[in-house]
Amino acid sequence: MITNAIQQKRKWTIAMAEPCNDDTLAIRLTAGDETALHELYAEYGKRLFAYALRLTNDHAKAEDVVQDVLVTVWRTAYRYRGEGRFIAWLLGIVHHTAMNAIRHTSIAISDAMEDTIASNTLPPENLTQRNMQSEWVKQGLESLDSDHRAVLELVFYQGLSMEEIAKVCQIPLGTVKSRLSYARQKLKGILIRQNAEEWR
Amino acid sequence: MKTHTEYEEMLPFYAAGGCTSQQKREMEAHINLCHECQTELTMWKAVSMEIDTSNKTISTPSDIPAQALTRIRASKPMAAAIRQSWQLLKAQTYLIQSELWPVSALVMLIGVLVAVIARKDVVVYLLSPMMAAATLSMLYGPDHDPANELTRSTATSPWKILLARMSIMSCYNLLLGLIASLGLLFIVKPEMLGTIILGWVGPLAFLSSLALLLSVWWGTGIAIAVTYGLWLAQYISFKSIGILMPSPVWSNFLTEYKNFWHEPLLLVGLAFFVALAALWSANLPMLRLSSSIQ
Ligand SMILES: [Zn+2]
Repeated sequence: MITNAIQQKRKWTIAMAEPCNDDTLAIRLTAGDETALHELYAEYGKRLFAYALRLTNDHAKAEDVVQDVLVTVWRTAYRYRGEGRFIAWLLGIVHHTAMNAIRHTSIAISDAMEDTIASNTLPPENLTQRNMQSEWVKQGLESLDSDHRAVLELVFYQGLSMEEIAKVCQIPLGTVKSRLSYARQKLKGILIRQNAEEWR
Repeated sequence: MKTHTEYEEMLPFYAAGGCTSQQKREMEAHINLCHECQTELTMWKAVSMEIDTSNKTISTPSDIPAQALTRIRASKPMAAAIRQSWQLLKAQTYLIQSELWPVSALVMLIGVLVAVIARKDVVVYLLSPMMAAATLSMLYGPDHDPANELTRSTATSPWKILLARMSIMSCYNLLLGLIASLGLLFIVKPEMLGTIILGWVGPLAFLSSLALLLSVWWGTGIAIAVTYGLWLAQYISFKSIGILMPSPVWSNFLTEYKNFWHEPLLLVGLAFFVALAALWSANLPMLRLSSSIQ
């Protein structure tokens, strides 16, 4: 079941990676074509919003961030010149904007927020299908802080490469590696504990 | 041969399906042998699925682009216009044939060297308007536009694009002319500099706008031929024409024609109107059509 989902996901990632006239989109934005902004949002809105929500942990704040991002994209589209993927460029703007937003309001992610997000993540009908294994994954992901969680989000949901992640988060490549390694160790620790409990 | 640690680092990307086929093959070969990587792969796949599932339920608000556009429209129109012009200029700088920049600079450099070596400042006077006319005649049309298709598909009207390119190129040409004139300081006195600059600036303005207009209508070749013909015609010697047509009307005309090129104000004024005509022509549907068939 897992492999099936991964394969589907892979197909999806490849489909998203295709240049869906991103250059034209950027040029049309530069030229002031308003429909281009709607098209951009139809194409990437979900991914941008998901990442903004991941970083802010707040629906309303994520909405503000994405709105700011669209305004920034509108004003700076001329800077995108087809180097790298458009989505990576967009996510970089989301990251920057969200980080500023968090810093300005200096909102600490409260446990309550984490809880609401965690409880919202699961559609009830899927609950029965999910085995014990997903429980430890969920716990493990929740135990990570937002920096590490964001990197995982960029790897798995956004399908970015290590270099793209470094660019989006404005961190050195080594930091991407160390964050992934930290996440791995933490998740593995929880997994081992879980297995030990099951064997008992 | 990579180490286990390197494979381990790549493992999440492999699990996410983000590896090249070469990397995939290497990875799979290692995973088959490495028990630790097998365990971690299972873990990463579970993580991937969990993240996907949690994102699936996110409902993306649909009104964000409309709100963003409202904000964009509400920003001060003057500031927006300036910003838009600036963006257009930058975008068009990038779209102008990149060879034009170094080639025209090189030609001007050679011109200055020739002028200095031959001790003839007239070379710069002759060359800078010709160089400017050539570059301006190559600004527009499918032959000269690496992104013509894209330009065509944008909502920006052709005259704005032409204006942006004309402004950029003319600034560059003026700059080259000024630098070339400074180069002449090797052979002329500094107080002559003003006269030298005033000498070429009028012809440069007039010839380049004329080249632009002609290129919009009939293409680069005709634009260059006509402007160069007009420019060099002032060097037709009185005597040779006099032999062919011994009429005082002709010799008067030639004198007047020569003087015409030494009237900077008149030339710049004419250049303005010719440039306006060029911009207006760029918007004519028939010309856009013919240039796309070319
Ligand atoms: Zn290994």
